[in-house]
Amino acid sequence: MKKEETVKLISAEGFEFIIDKKAAMVSQTIRNMLTSPGSFAETQHGEVRFPEISTTILEKICQYFYWSLQFASGKETEFHIEPELTLELLMAANYLHT
Amino acid sequence: MSTQKRRNFKIEAFKHRVELDPKYAEKTWKVLEHAIQEIYNHNASGLSFEELYRNAYNMVLHKYGEKLYSGLVTTMTWHLKEISKIIEAAQGGLFLEELNRKWGEHNKALQMIRDILMYMDRTFVPSNHKTPVHELGLNLWRDNIIHSSKIQTRLLYTLLELVHRERTGEVINRGLMRNIIKMLMDLGASVYQEDFEKPFLEVSANFYSVESQQFIECCDCGEYLKKAERRLNEEMERVSHYLDAKSESKITNVVEREMIANHMQRLVHMENSGLVNMLIDDKYEDLARMYSLFRRVPDGLSTIRDVMTSHLRDTGKQLVTDPERLKDPVDFVQRLLDEKDKHDKIIHLAFNNDKTFQNALNSSFEYFINLNPRSPEFISLFVDDKLRKGLKGVSEEDVEVVLDKVMMLFRYLQEKDVFEKYYKQHLAKRLLSGKTVSDDAERSLIVKLKTECGYQFTSKLEGMFTDMKTSQDTMQGFYASQSPETSADSPTLAVQVLTTGSWPTQPTTTCNLPAEILGVCEKFRTYYLGTHTGRRLSWQTNMGTADLKATFGKGQKHELNVSTYQMCILMLFNSSDRLNYREIEQATEIPASDLKRCLQSLACVKGKNVLRKEPMSKDIGEDDVFFFNDKFSSKFYKVKIGTVVAQKESEPEKQETRQRVEEDRKPQIEAAIVRIMKSRRVLDHNNIVAEVTKQLQSRFLPNPVVIKKRIESLIEREFLERDKVDRKLYRYLA
Repeated sequence: MKKEETVKLISAEGFEFIIDKKAAMVSQTIRNMLTSPGSFAETQHGEVRFPEISTTILEKICQYFYWSLQFASGKETEFHIEPELTLELLMAANYLHT
Repeated sequence: MSTQKRRNFKIEAFKHRVELDPKYAEKTWKVLEHAIQEIYNHNASGLSFEELYRNAYNMVLHKYGEKLYSGLVTTMTWHLKEISKIIEAAQGGLFLEELNRKWGEHNKALQMIRDILMYMDRTFVPSNHKTPVHELGLNLWRDNIIHSSKIQTRLLYTLLELVHRERTGEVINRGLMRNIIKMLMDLGASVYQEDFEKPFLEVSANFYSVESQQFIECCDCGEYLKKAERRLNEEMERVSHYLDAKSESKITNVVEREMIANHMQRLVHMENSGLVNMLIDDKYEDLARMYSLFRRVPDGLSTIRDVMTSHLRDTGKQLVTDPERLKDPVDFVQRLLDEKDKHDKIIHLAFNNDKTFQNALNSSFEYFINLNPRSPEFISLFVDDKLRKGLKGVSEEDVEVVLDKVMMLFRYLQEKDVFEKYYKQHLAKRLLSGKTVSDDAERSLIVKLKTECGYQFTSKLEGMFTDMKTSQDTMQGFYASQSPETSADSPTLAVQVLTTGSWPTQPTTTCNLPAEILGVCEKFRTYYLGTHTGRRLSWQTNMGTADLKATFGKGQKHELNVSTYQMCILMLFNSSDRLNYREIEQATEIPASDLKRCLQSLACVKGKNVLRKEPMSKDIGEDDVFFFNDKFSSKFYKVKIGTVVAQKESEPEKQETRQRVEEDRKPQIEAAIVRIMKSRRVLDHNNIVAEVTKQLQSRFLPNPVVIKKRIESLIEREFLERDKVDRKLYRYLA
């Protein structure tokens, strides 16, 4: 994958997830980060740090991004969420405007 | 996340994150305030979007939204005040450019700030009824920059100055202009209207008011209209380049009002170049321009139309009442047709085939054609002329065109029955003298008249054609029945049997036919009455013609083509060389006026004087003596002695025709009254007059006085009676 087409998401613990920009932009917040005029650090480096999101949650979020793309293109499958993650995921979703 | 997971359960605040640090809000705000400053200073590259977003997010989440929002307002206001100082400082021409650049920067910064504060925009703003960040940024820009006392008037003045310079022919930076105007539009329709459009329209009105005054003093009408049209196009072009599209109608309205509406009357009536001159000189382009410009303003077209109508009426009136014109009916009608063609062309080429203009044209023609009571006669004479000689060698289509044009004039006539009367007379003469050029053309015209006025109008005319046809057959039958030897030496007779009623009634004035002719006539009478029973034949000697073979003094022979009357006179000279007026009158019994005319054409026309008269004078006196002219000579074998051609009627004849027409109208009016009363039973006087007029207007315009007389006559004859209570009411008596 070309670097321009991907983005690196870093969790609170320092874990790095490299995913397609297209997928990341499912989040309105990340979309704004990457497209806002003027160059913020995130746009320049192609990476975003989330000091308040744990690795487990960020992983689940990345999965969700890809699932959402598929869902939008018509592939209707179930997205499984473990009950213990529910609350934190909801918080993150609010933050990321997903 | 997925909809399935979003159930309605309550979420407690993120407890472990709540820091009770009282300085927390202050510290966080400082970070954001700093970031906003950096953004305005173009230093955003070092900033972390995520961090700023998270800070704003947390402030809102921890109920510090109000602080965040008011902080934003303060900071942005401060920045904009700084910017306004820089813009104010810009010198002369750089002012607009500086403004434009700062506007661009502000827009960009605003976008970034909005993105960072997105969470606030999404949650805090709607629930607290605040203005969203983007709109807030625009409002602050408006209040602090555009409406700052030092900028507002300067901006307006600069913009208007640029427009003015462009109007006077300079080239200006339209791109910059467009950006600034776009900015005003982005700040809201009211900003654009108040801060630019309204003053712009006022200044434009002044400009064009002054300019139009100058133009009208020094230009002629066509020139002025060209300039006005160019200005109008310029303004529309200006709108399309850098103004709000909604301004187009407003600014064109200003130009229309100042340059056209305010000067309309003066333009139209401009001496030597106004509308009338354009019409006279067929200035199609100028007329079309005037039409398209005037159409834009209220009453514009009606102004043109009124002037055109009055011009048409004046020229038409002159045409139809000019005594010079009355001398030549054919020329008279041709002029009318030319006039019609000319204006048809103008309406077609310049006035967009406007229906209302066509109507105006038609009503004008109707008006002035009927001003001259002789119009019906002249139109019929025109047709007569065309059908006698005018259509020779003309293609069938052209014939149709001419006839259609005549029909068009016919439609304008109010007294169609008068036309009918004359047409019948002229047609009769054409048919009987065999002068009609084309049978097809004759019939085609009859068909046209029929479609225009109905069967009634033409039934008698058609009857005339039928008579001609039957007569031919009759003559063939007659000669077939005669033994060849009896007819060898006697004159050849051609009889046209005319049905009484179908043909113009002529008082039957018989004359004494020469014995030779009388013999043949008797034979024919016997033959005709033998084949048709119950009919009566009477000879219309005043309508016939004859061919005579004559030998003159030196033995030269000529064939003379003369009328029946003339024949009778000439035959007398077979037996004597000298006859005086009284002798001729006694012998022939031709009515005096006809006799005089015949003798005049036989004795007084140079080159055709087969008779000699004493004394030699132009007029025929009752004591004149006539001699057979031995010395007559002519280059031609056949000599045609002035037959009576259809001519303009003399004054007494005209009176007579008029009287006959009036007579004919009486039964028509009565019939109309009876028809109306039969269906209405009871009606008052005015309504009867109105309805009768309506029923008869396709033929003529009945005079109310005559209608009244007819009503009285019908009452006398007990078709109607007056109501006993209301004397104005009439009752139908079955």
